[in-house]
Amino acid sequence: MINKEVEKLLLKVQKPGRYVGGEMNSIVKDKNKVNLRFAFCFPDTYEVGMSHLGMKILYSLFNSFEDIWCERVFAPWVDMEALMRQNHIPLFALESGDPISEFDFIGFTLQYELSFTNILNMLQLGNIPVKSKDRTELKNIVCAGGPCACNPEPIADFIDLFFIGEGEEVDLEVMDLYRQCKKNNETKQEFLIKASQIKGVYVPSLYEVTYNEDYTIKAITPLHNAPPKVEKRLMTNMDKSYYPENFVVPMIEIVHDRAMEEIFRGCIRGCRFCQAGFLYRPVREKSVEVINEQCHTLCNNTGYDEVSLSSLSSSDYTQIGGLLTQLNEWAKEEQVSISLPSLRVDGFDDEIISKIKTVRKSGLTFAPEAGTQRMRDVINKNVREDELMQTCSKAFNNGWTKVKLYFMIGLPTETDEDVQGIAELGQKVINTFYSCENRPKGKAVSVTLSTSSFVPKPFTPFQWEPQDSEESLKAKQKLIKESIHSRKITYNYHDSSTSFLEAVFARGDRRLCKVMELALEKGFHFDGWGECFSLEKWLKLFKECGIDPHFYANRKRSFDEVLAWEHLDYGVSKEFLIKECKKAYASQTTENCRQKCSNCGANKWKVGVCFEKRKNMV
Amino acid sequence: MKSVRIWFKKDGATRYISHLDLNRVMTRALQHSRLPIWHTEGFNPHPFLTFALPLSLGFRGVRECMDIKLTEDNICEKEIIDKLNASLPVGIRIFKVTDPIMKAGKITYAKFHMKMTCDTITLEELFFLFRNLFARETIEIEKKNKKGVVKTLDLKPDIGEYTLEKTNNDVTLEIILSAGSVQNVNPTLLIAILEKENNIEINYDITRMDLYNEEMKAFV
Repeated sequence: MINKEVEKLLLKVQKPGRYVGGEMNSIVKDKNKVNLRFAFCFPDTYEVGMSHLGMKILYSLFNSFEDIWCERVFAPWVDMEALMRQNHIPLFALESGDPISEFDFIGFTLQYELSFTNILNMLQLGNIPVKSKDRTELKNIVCAGGPCACNPEPIADFIDLFFIGEGEEVDLEVMDLYRQCKKNNETKQEFLIKASQIKGVYVPSLYEVTYNEDYTIKAITPLHNAPPKVEKRLMTNMDKSYYPENFVVPMIEIVHDRAMEEIFRGCIRGCRFCQAGFLYRPVREKSVEVINEQCHTLCNNTGYDEVSLSSLSSSDYTQIGGLLTQLNEWAKEEQVSISLPSLRVDGFDDEIISKIKTVRKSGLTFAPEAGTQRMRDVINKNVREDELMQTCSKAFNNGWTKVKLYFMIGLPTETDEDVQGIAELGQKVINTFYSCENRPKGKAVSVTLSTSSFVPKPFTPFQWEPQDSEESLKAKQKLIKESIHSRKITYNYHDSSTSFLEAVFARGDRRLCKVMELALEKGFHFDGWGECFSLEKWLKLFKECGIDPHFYANRKRSFDEVLAWEHLDYGVSKEFLIKECKKAYASQTTENCRQKCSNCGANKWKVGVCFEKRKNMV
Repeated sequence: MKSVRIWFKKDGATRYISHLDLNRVMTRALQHSRLPIWHTEGFNPHPFLTFALPLSLGFRGVRECMDIKLTEDNICEKEIIDKLNASLPVGIRIFKVTDPIMKAGKITYAKFHMKMTCDTITLEELFFLFRNLFARETIEIEKKNKKGVVKTLDLKPDIGEYTLEKTNNDVTLEIILSAGSVQNVNPTLLIAILEKENNIEINYDITRMDLYNEEMKAFV
C-alpha cells in the first residue's frame, strides 16, 4: 500500500521502486486480524536488504503464523530521506505503508558495524525515541540480532533486547512473552526482566558495566537475576528447521537476485581471522533430499532461473557431488542454473565445475587471504600455493582467462616479505597461465589482486590483537603496487579508513553510545557507502566526546582483560581462542573439524560435525 | 510456433518500475508460468519477449502490450491469462491475448490522460498556464543530444487533439502526442516547460490510454 503523501515524492527520487512494495509473494494481512506486528528493519537500502537470506527466512517464518504480521522496512536512500524529513513523513513499512511507530516490535538485523548509524537514523525517522530508557511503554520494542549482535555494546543504550545466535526459535518465544505481558497489563520493565530469562536473549539495560581508571572494563554485573553469561541459540536440526517455500520477488534490480538455498550452517575450517567461522559453530548440514526439495519448491514458486547454494564454504558440503547430480536432474530441464558462491581454492574440482554455472566464463574468484605460506599458516587458511596453481591451471585449461584473488593486509605478525608475497603470487598465476597447454589462444590473461585491511573481531583468536595503523596499511598498499611488474596484474584495495571505524565499533564498549548519539544528531548515515563516509568527521566527533578511537582499534589487549563482550557466550571457549592465538604466533596450523576435533567447546550442543563419523576413526 | 500479443495494464506499485525492470518482471513471470514459451537460442537462452513501446517510469498504462512466442499452438487465451496473472505482481494484470496484427513500428501516436496539481499556485492559474502554452505558435524546448549539443526543438507539430479542463481537484489534460520509434514526445516535456518558466513544481499523474498508427487507428 503506497501512502498518498509518499506517492507525491516518488517521482522526485532515484529508483522509486525501492519504496512501493507490491512485489510478488509479499505478504499483506488485515491489521485488525493480527495481534502482533513486527517491523523487520534492514539498516541499508532495499537492494542490499532484499539480498539478505536471514531476512527472507524470518519474514516467512513470522508470517506463517496467522496472528503475526511481519513487514519489511529499509533505510531510505539520502534523496528520499531528505524529502521525507522535509515533508514530515515518518519511516514506513512496505507492505502496509504504516509508520513503524504502529508496530509492536521494531527489529533490526546487524550485518555490518558501519550500519549502526542507520539504525539510529531509522528510529529517528520513525519518530521513535532513540534511547531505550526514553521508551517507557510496552510497545515499539526495539530488538536486534545477527552477527554484529556478538558485541552490541556500542548500541546498547538504544536497543531493548538483542537476540544472541540463531533467531528462528528465540524470536517467537519473545513475541509470545510480549503478548502475555500485554494481556496482563505488565510494564515494559517487567517484560524485559522476564525476557532476559529466555535463553539467547540479552537485555543490555540489565547489566551494569564498570570501568578501571585506564578505561578498560572492570566488571559486567547482571541485575534483576539476568544470567551472568547469555548463551547463544542455535538450530540443532537443519532438516527440520523452518525454511521458506517462497521469496518476495523484487521488481527492481537488487544485489543478489536469485533463489538461495542454505546448505549448512557453520564452517569446519577455523580460519583465525574469520568471525563467522567461530560464531556459527558447530557445522550442521541439511540432507541432500531436503536441499533438493527446497531448491525445487523455491524455483517453482518464485520463477527464478538461478539458485545459489549458500554457506560459508560450499565445497565443504560432505556430499557436494551427489547433491549437484540430484539437482541437475530437474534443473537442466527446467532451465535453472546452480551456482556455488563461496568456493575454496581446494574445492574447485572438475566434477563440480561441470555441474555449476561458475559466474560464466568471465572470471573466477578465490581468496588465498595472504601472500606467503607462513602468513597463511598464521591465519590457519590451510591453502597451499601449489593448490592455488593447480586450480588456476584447471581454470585456464578450461577456458578461463581472468582470475581475481582476495587478500588481507595488516594481519598479525605480517612482514614486508608477506606483503610482497601478494604481488609475487599474482605473478606466479600469470606464469602458470603461459605454462598451460590448453589455455585459450589469442587471449590475454588478467589477474586482479584485491586487498582489504584486517579488522580484528570478537570471538576470534585475534580478538586481542591491535589493528594495523593507517600509515602502516597505506605503506603496505604502496609496497604491493611497487612490487607489481606486470601490466596483466591489476591491484585494487579497500579504503583503510572504513576498516578503522569498523575496528572501533567491532570491539567497542558502551562508552561509544554517546558517540553514536552525537553522530545521529549530526546527521550521519550510510557510513558503509563511499558517498557518505568521512573519517575526518568521525575523528572530530570522537574528539568532541573525549574518546580515543585508537583505544578500541589499535590497542593490544592482554588475555586477562575483561572484554566488552565477556558476558556473551557463543559456545567457543576462551581457552580455545587463547590456544589458537598462541599457535598463530608459532605459525602452527590447526586441523579442520572433520580431520580432528580441536575441542573448541561447541560439542556441548551434541549436534553436527562434532558427532559426524570421521573417516580416520572408522 | 505461434506469436501472440499479450495485453496488460500497469498500475499500483508497478507504476514505479522502469522499462528494464518490467522486462525482468515479465521474463520471470513467463518462466514461472510454465507456459510453453519459446526461448532464444543464443549462448544464454531466455524467454523471447518484445514490448510495443516502452512506458515511462511513473506512468500508468491501461492498454500496454508485449509479444511472445509459444511453442504449442493449442493453448487457449484463458489459460495464458490465468497462468501469467498468477505469476505477476498485483499491479500488472493481463486482460487479453490476441494475434499480433500491426507491427510495433507502425505506432505513430499515443494518447495520455494527465492530472496535474501544484502546491504553490491555484488550479485556475495552472489551467491558464496550460491554455496559454497551447496557444503559442511554437512550443520550444531545449534538448541535449547524445553529443551534449543543445538543440532547440518545436513540440507544436507533435501535438494532436487535446482537451483541457479544470476539475474540482486538478487540471485534467487528455492529449495525443507523437509516439513510436521515429518521433516520440514524452508528455512530461510540456510540464517541464511550465515548471521552468514559472519556477514552480507540478505534481502529475499520467496514464497512457492507447497507441495509434499513422491513420489514428488504435494499435492492435
